[in-house]
Amino acid sequence: MRERILGLLAQRPAAFAVVLALVLLIANVIAQPDFIAPNQIAPTLGTLAPFAIVGMASTLAFLSGGGGIDLSIAPLMGLVNIVLVTVFFGTALGGPLLAIPLLLALGAVVGAINGVMVARLRFPPVIATLGTFFVLAGLDLRLVPNPVTAGPNWTNHLAGSIGPVPGALLTIGAPLLLWLALRRTPYVQSLLAVGDHDATAFSAGINVNAVRISAYTIGGVIAAIGGIALTGLVRSADAQVFNNYILVALAAVALGGTNLFGGRGGLFPSLMGATCIFLLENLLTSLHASAYFIQVAYGGALFVAVLFGSRIFNREVAPA
Amino acid sequence: MTRASLERLVRTAPILQVAAVIALGIAAAVTIDGFLTLTSIYTTLVLAAFLGIAAAGQTTVILIGGIDLSVPALITGANLVSTSLTGKGWSFLSVCLFLLASAAVVGAINGYTTHRFRVPPLIVTLATGAIVTGATLGWTKGGQVSGHVPSWMGTFSSPIGTVFGVRLPPIVLLWAILALAISIVLHLSVAGRRIYATGANEHAAELAGVKTERVWIGAFVFSAISATVVGVLLAGFTGTGQAGIGDQYLFTSLAAVLIGGTSLVGARGDYWRTVLGALILTLITTLLVGHGADESTQEMIIGALILAFVGLYGRDQRVRDRV
Repeated sequence: MRERILGLLAQRPAAFAVVLALVLLIANVIAQPDFIAPNQIAPTLGTLAPFAIVGMASTLAFLSGGGGIDLSIAPLMGLVNIVLVTVFFGTALGGPLLAIPLLLALGAVVGAINGVMVARLRFPPVIATLGTFFVLAGLDLRLVPNPVTAGPNWTNHLAGSIGPVPGALLTIGAPLLLWLALRRTPYVQSLLAVGDHDATAFSAGINVNAVRISAYTIGGVIAAIGGIALTGLVRSADAQVFNNYILVALAAVALGGTNLFGGRGGLFPSLMGATCIFLLENLLTSLHASAYFIQVAYGGALFVAVLFGSRIFNREVAPA
Repeated sequence: MTRASLERLVRTAPILQVAAVIALGIAAAVTIDGFLTLTSIYTTLVLAAFLGIAAAGQTTVILIGGIDLSVPALITGANLVSTSLTGKGWSFLSVCLFLLASAAVVGAINGYTTHRFRVPPLIVTLATGAIVTGATLGWTKGGQVSGHVPSWMGTFSSPIGTVFGVRLPPIVLLWAILALAISIVLHLSVAGRRIYATGANEHAAELAGVKTERVWIGAFVFSAISATVVGVLLAGFTGTGQAGIGDQYLFTSLAAVLIGGTSLVGARGDYWRTVLGALILTLITTLLVGHGADESTQEMIIGALILAFVGLYGRDQRVRDRV
């Protein structure tokens, strides 16, 4: 029985997160019946959006294998938020048609720098992205030493609703659509092959460096979407707010069931993982748990998630 | 001297690091007024000692091929808990014993889970770090502590402290003894051989009779304990407990190891390199602060600097060379 469940989870890694999310959703509704009131759905999804998007943005680096990890996703999301509020708003670039492509390009550039450092310069991913983390965090703090409030603007709709449609469906949906589109191309297969065993993928003729660089670049683009969603939510530019998302990003990927050593997983599992963490935090808050206890819960969720993932993925490989 | 032999020399001996320490020392002496006094040199050494001791455990963990990101949480935790418990009337000895035992538990969990379940140490130590931070901040209500560690702890890490009447901060002496002890263990003992063997090839080490699980647990326990010691020493240095005091050591403890030239891949490097790395980082911070750079500039420059140093060392193999 236990073997069968583990076998099922190895094939459908997100199944655990989906079940857990449903359980947590029910628990939330019991603790706080208004949780699913119609007028609450859009703002709730708006709060979920940054969680979901950092989780999805962090996934690609893990998938690309070779110890891949992108620690700079959270401060990059912070930078996009800060640039949008302090540089773009109030100028000709402040409208969505110009601002969105420029911010996505900013995310792509930072992601590509990480990718080049990891793939071409062969830096250990932890160090490369931790270096970027500190450069970006320093830059964030330099740009806004104190939080700057943003006036009413188009991003508010993304955290609320656009007509009857919750705006968060757009921000959460955009990375998912991008991923679905990529899955129709050979790219995702190549990415998973590289993540599974890079030398084999190289022998099979896959351009390993190009795949890795683009994985970090796409991660950066998704982080930029997260920055836009975050701006709608916090309605200010804040150099500290990204700190709340560092652990969430990693925990969402691990809890979703993506293999942290690469080769298995996708964006949907991370979305589910992020949803679990969001619902857990929401449940603890509605039960009046302190912020510190919530941090303990984050750590605990991350710890349990990695142990759980190792049970699923390591059972296929005979121990060395 | 040919380029190839120069490159080999740079790889085998920390020449670049020694040169960097000398160059930075000269730069500080020339451009910062009053750097060349005994007090300010000792201040730099005391700050480097905190970093060096925090990075001692990190060095061992990196030598076996792991990484420990729970260091800042344990520093802050020990800092807050030691002041809080002394404030509640615990004797300093029992506080220290309690903290060392708790640190050993956290380290053992880190080492055991990463080894037994083959999970990335990076993620596991981030998780245990978050748990420790949340628990200590929750317990001290956000870092409000009212106690004081004994006053001799203050003189222990004071730049104007003395050892048996000689003008030398005791913490600097402690650091020197620690460095000597670690290098004896690493290079002249069976335990040291086991550490390098585990880092070079864990499977081969296991077949050669090394109990690699014990090596992993031991390295992580040592890392947790060295972080705890720094937390208590910092409580003496600043006179009180402070939330977030360990945060800066997340990056600097890693940076000291890597700038020294110890490789993240494992088994290459030793603690003397970390000592040099700690001195380099502290001198750079001293220079930046001396020239009025604010916190954000320091973060950016140190971030860029570590990338430059890692570019010289510890890069991975090409994929095509691993086929």
